[in-house]
Amino acid sequence: MTSAVPLKLIEVSKSFGSLQALKPLTLGIGGGEMLALLGPSGCGKTTTLRIIAGFEAPDTGQVVIGGVDVTDLPPNRRGLGMVFQNYSLFPHMSVGANVAYGLRMRGVPAAERTARVRRILGLVRLEQYEDRQIHQLSGGQQQRVALARSLVTNPSVLLLDEPLGALDKNLRERMQFELREIQRRLGITSIIVTHDQEEALTMSDRVAVMAEGRIVQVGPPTEVYEHPRTRFVSEFLGTANIFSGIVADRAGPRSWSVALDLDRSPRSLVESDEALAAGHRVLLAVRPERLKLGPPEADGIRARVQDVVFRGSYFAYELAVPGSPGPVFAYAQAREAVPADGIVGVSWGAGGAIVLRDAP
Amino acid sequence: MSVDVEQAPAALAALPARRPGGPYRLARSTWTVPVLVFLGFFFVIPLGANIWRSLATGDALTQGAFVFYGKLLGDAYYAGILYETFKVGVIATALSLVLGYPVAYFMVRHAGRWNGVIVFLLIAPLLTSIIMRTFGWRVLLARRGPVTMLLHDWGLIARPTNLADDPVAVYVALVHVLVPFMVLSISAVLQQVDVRLEESSRVLGAGPLATFFRITLPLSLDGVATGCILVFVVTNGSFLTMLLLGGGKVTTLSLLIYQQFNVAQDTGFAAAMGNLLLFVALACLALQARFLRRQGIRP
Amino acid sequence: MTPPAAYPAPGGAGAPAPRRRRRRPNWAALALGAYVVAFLGFIVAPIAAVVMVSFSTASFITFPIPGLTLRWYWRIIEYRPFVDAMIVSIEVALASTLIAAALGVPAALALARARGAASALLSNFLLAPITVPAIVLGLALLYFLASLSLGLSFTALLIAHTVAGIPYVVRTVLAVYRALPPDLEEASAVLGATRWQTFRHTTLPLIRPGIFAGGLFSVLTSLDNLPLSFFFGSASTSTLPVVMLSYMENQFDPSIAAVSTVQMLIAVVALVVTDRLYGIEKLTAA
Repeated sequence: MTSAVPLKLIEVSKSFGSLQALKPLTLGIGGGEMLALLGPSGCGKTTTLRIIAGFEAPDTGQVVIGGVDVTDLPPNRRGLGMVFQNYSLFPHMSVGANVAYGLRMRGVPAAERTARVRRILGLVRLEQYEDRQIHQLSGGQQQRVALARSLVTNPSVLLLDEPLGALDKNLRERMQFELREIQRRLGITSIIVTHDQEEALTMSDRVAVMAEGRIVQVGPPTEVYEHPRTRFVSEFLGTANIFSGIVADRAGPRSWSVALDLDRSPRSLVESDEALAAGHRVLLAVRPERLKLGPPEADGIRARVQDVVFRGSYFAYELAVPGSPGPVFAYAQAREAVPADGIVGVSWGAGGAIVLRDAP
Repeated sequence: MSVDVEQAPAALAALPARRPGGPYRLARSTWTVPVLVFLGFFFVIPLGANIWRSLATGDALTQGAFVFYGKLLGDAYYAGILYETFKVGVIATALSLVLGYPVAYFMVRHAGRWNGVIVFLLIAPLLTSIIMRTFGWRVLLARRGPVTMLLHDWGLIARPTNLADDPVAVYVALVHVLVPFMVLSISAVLQQVDVRLEESSRVLGAGPLATFFRITLPLSLDGVATGCILVFVVTNGSFLTMLLLGGGKVTTLSLLIYQQFNVAQDTGFAAAMGNLLLFVALACLALQARFLRRQGIRP
Repeated sequence: MTPPAAYPAPGGAGAPAPRRRRRRPNWAALALGAYVVAFLGFIVAPIAAVVMVSFSTASFITFPIPGLTLRWYWRIIEYRPFVDAMIVSIEVALASTLIAAALGVPAALALARARGAASALLSNFLLAPITVPAIVLGLALLYFLASLSLGLSFTALLIAHTVAGIPYVVRTVLAVYRALPPDLEEASAVLGATRWQTFRHTTLPLIRPGIFAGGLFSVLTSLDNLPLSFFFGSASTSTLPVVMLSYMENQFDPSIAAVSTVQMLIAVVALVVTDRLYGIEKLTAA
């Protein structure tokens, strides 16, 4: 239906008054790729999307869509599709008229318009709703109308601004798959802005994590999750336990042993692609599900169970570790939980800890 | 972090200067130009010319710039009219407040589903002309009009006279036109006063009157101020009521402007009178804006 | 349908009804209510009196009216100045409102979403003509327009009423447009609409209730704006209130009552038509 069009942002920046909302940012999105812009509010992700849409003019830089510099084009001449956070459906029009709007603006003849509206409403499974008024629809249905309206004009790029934010949890999970499925089927280059890490990981080919106006890390969801570069990324994408320590010596081709500040005993626990020099301070992140709980006499950090919660498929522990500033979190799959106040030994296997790039 | 981000061409190192432009908006700021030109020409210039006329034409040229204003404030006849204008404004405002407050209170605390009916009856007179309402009072207050007859039957007046030509008719008609504005101003504010504050006061041992004067009234002062200033300003600008009622015994500044315009064409003096009226109106509005700001309420 | 016997309806016939305590009549509230009824009588009385007198068979004002007739309504039609003035009044009201809307709506759209002191100042400036007493505005405009040799013309009358009408249109459009989410227009733009198309197909339909409410205010005010109109009165440019006033200075018969009643009906019709066509109640829904 659509030929995949790549999009490039080159040195794009934007300030609002004295606030630098976006520091010079360069980012390429391949044709047919779904990229998630993920970050807390105020990180610049929405500004980035609005610059691509043409609602904000960047102070510097270029927006290139399919090889054409569109930086100075108004929104209506960029040929984009966009789903807004609150859908922004026209309240004075029926479902059919909403979807047909973009075609009408382009002067598509009525007969073709009707056919294309029908086809796209079929794609989002709303064939029966063409004559309904917007306020007669549920939130999920409105979301699908907004999607249909943005796709009917065969846009080169689809922009999704927190598209599922207004839906309740169950519906949101269902729509994540549905939206992803439609995007794959059409092969349309897409950018989704979200503050929900799960949504970003589920829906995208690549995730760009943003903070304070710049991209901190870009990569496939698994890579960003498994190999966060900074403490911010590791903590924003799920839960992470942060430990500091000093590199002791090399333990294998890609592994080093590190003496944690907690107990100062060297452990060969850390993998890194880059060489680590002995004596250097490092910051480590360990995901709660990578932590293993064993008997206290085993080779591990001694910890006391403060709290334990059953989460359906696993037990979530909050552990007190002497010398640690905050609690340590661990998720363990076991038939029985270690009760509160039990003493355990905490350890992780090879590859369980990631070396962060932050200054420790 | 160059996973597959294409490197920017080196040529871009010399970045273009900051691009101008705010966010996308439908309306450009130039869309205000036609109305600004129109009002500049037909609102600002005429009012400005009026100030110039009052300071630098006719007698003002020969006897000093402020001669017209001096005459207005110094001459016993005109000073009397200014006093009359002020008196009428104050009395009409006070009457509207006293008569209107209970209605506003009733609307907010007791009316329930009748509230809509009351609002409708307060607004409906706006669909009729001032002449119609003034004429209505001429009918009601005529020598053989129903109000006069009723007052006579009750023994409140010795014999039927044409009350429409009595100064009291001016106040009756003014209050009739203006009290809806007072009621609506007060009820809008009273609506936001939490009824629980009044209940707390009662629980703490205050009687209904003490509660009213210590809790309800102070909290509704914004509406009272808005209503009073509105009524006062509009009264100052009215002349039809004084023209058609009161038998010509109530002469205010607006009426004087009307009469001067029809009789003597002393443009400089008429302009000075108009400016005085305008000045009072603007002063009242400034007072109101200040009052609302002090209360931390956005108008 | 009766509920199954096993599940008696809560509070139904089975349970003994709690004895309702006799409410003490709230004398203060009752007195207040009686006062409000009297007050509303005071508000309605002069209007009702005029309508009644307009059907009176007596050629002088008397109460109660001796009989019913429509002769005063015929008198309006026979007395040319009334008909001419009514036409002038309606023409001025409609034309000035149209111009006020053409000037005021684009400006309101530009100012509603703009931030900063300048735009706030400009908004207040556009609302300023309301605050100037009409008699002062009329006087100032007459002198100024006379110096442009436009003194006693329909154009002068139209200009004066347009100045007075602009604030009403601007005020309601500002309010309605500010309540409208800005991303509707962004959605329209992304879908390929030019500025004009966005205005035509998205903005205008959504702010239309505001335009018509403001327009209605402007029309009603114009119809009754004697202090503004009488400065520009001439044989061909006198509005209805001006003619009524000069008629009353000479005669005092029920034809004034009939004209007033007709004018009230025109206003009511304007209100009902606007409401039917463009749903003023949508203003609150939007």
